Amino acid sequence: PGAVGNALPSQVVDHYENPRNVGSLDRNAKNVGTGLVGAPACGDVMKLQVEVDENGRIVDARFKTFGCGSAIASSSLATEWVKGKTVDEALKIKNTDIAKELCLPPVKLHCSMLAEDAIKAALADYKLKQDPNKEEAEKKA
Amino acid sequence: ARRAAGLTPPSVARSDRSFRIDAQQLQRRFRSLQRAVHPDRFSRSPPEEQLYSEQHSSLINKAYQTLLHPLSRGLYLLELNGVEPAQETDSDADSVFLTEIMEINEKLAEPKNDDMLQEIETLIKVKQEELTKEVTAAFERDDLQEAKKLLAKMKYFANLEDKLKDKKIPS
Repeated sequence: PGAVGNALPSQVVDHYENPRNVGSLDRNAKNVGTGLVGAPACGDVMKLQVEVDENGRIVDARFKTFGCGSAIASSSLATEWVKGKTVDEALKIKNTDIAKELCLPPVKLHCSMLAEDAIKAALADYKLKQDPNKEEAEKKA
Repeated sequence: ARRAAGLTPPSVARSDRSFRIDAQQLQRRFRSLQRAVHPDRFSRSPPEEQLYSEQHSSLINKAYQTLLHPLSRGLYLLELNGVEPAQETDSDADSVFLTEIMEINEKLAEPKNDDMLQEIETLIKVKQEELTKEVTAAFERDDLQEAKKLLAKMKYFANLEDKLKDKKIPS
């Protein structure tokens, strides 16, 4: 069921009232990627972190989001979804999937976009930490 | 200079709109407009006039609030100049700024005493004043892209200010 008027959909309420994976991982650990993103239109900030094992699989994820219920729910869902995925699989998570799962109304679609951006930023950070020289070479090319 | 003194959007059709305003003059104009349309004056008037009065009174309130606060005023000025407010996600390039916002949010989320709240409030105020100065300067030299970036930063601090106000309300 979708949102009625200003009421949050039940899926959003659940992730908002019982968010999963709130917290932090050690950003200095080599196998932890940290993504920090913000939505300038609404002033929401979102930090998402992933811990990746030696096989390139995400074994843990945490988030901290300061913003509306939909932003919190989107990042909570994002951390649930990345767990167990490889880095490349997690990069395929789209904001539209998040929005659909949470039945976000059009006015809150940007919250799911922010979560997608947070996942990408965390994974980009992780990749950079694995091969900083490669990144530098690519940047210079 | 004449400022954005017309309080309803269509009447702010001046070529010399500036970001800087005279708050007292704004307030005088607001009051004088409200005196003319306030519902109290129309309580015994026909329904169409009462409706007119309500709608315009409400619009005047909204316009006044928009122009009074630097953030909303700045965003409105961007809009008048055909510049969209920032929509793209802030990330890598802004990590220092975002980290700062995150840290203040985290401090606010902790249980605390009045002294700490006061410290955070002062910090937020100082930052807002700095940003307002920078936005004023950007508009004055017609650097709308810079104004847009600064207004985006102000939005984050406006949210913090709201959260702080909520914290101060005794529960």
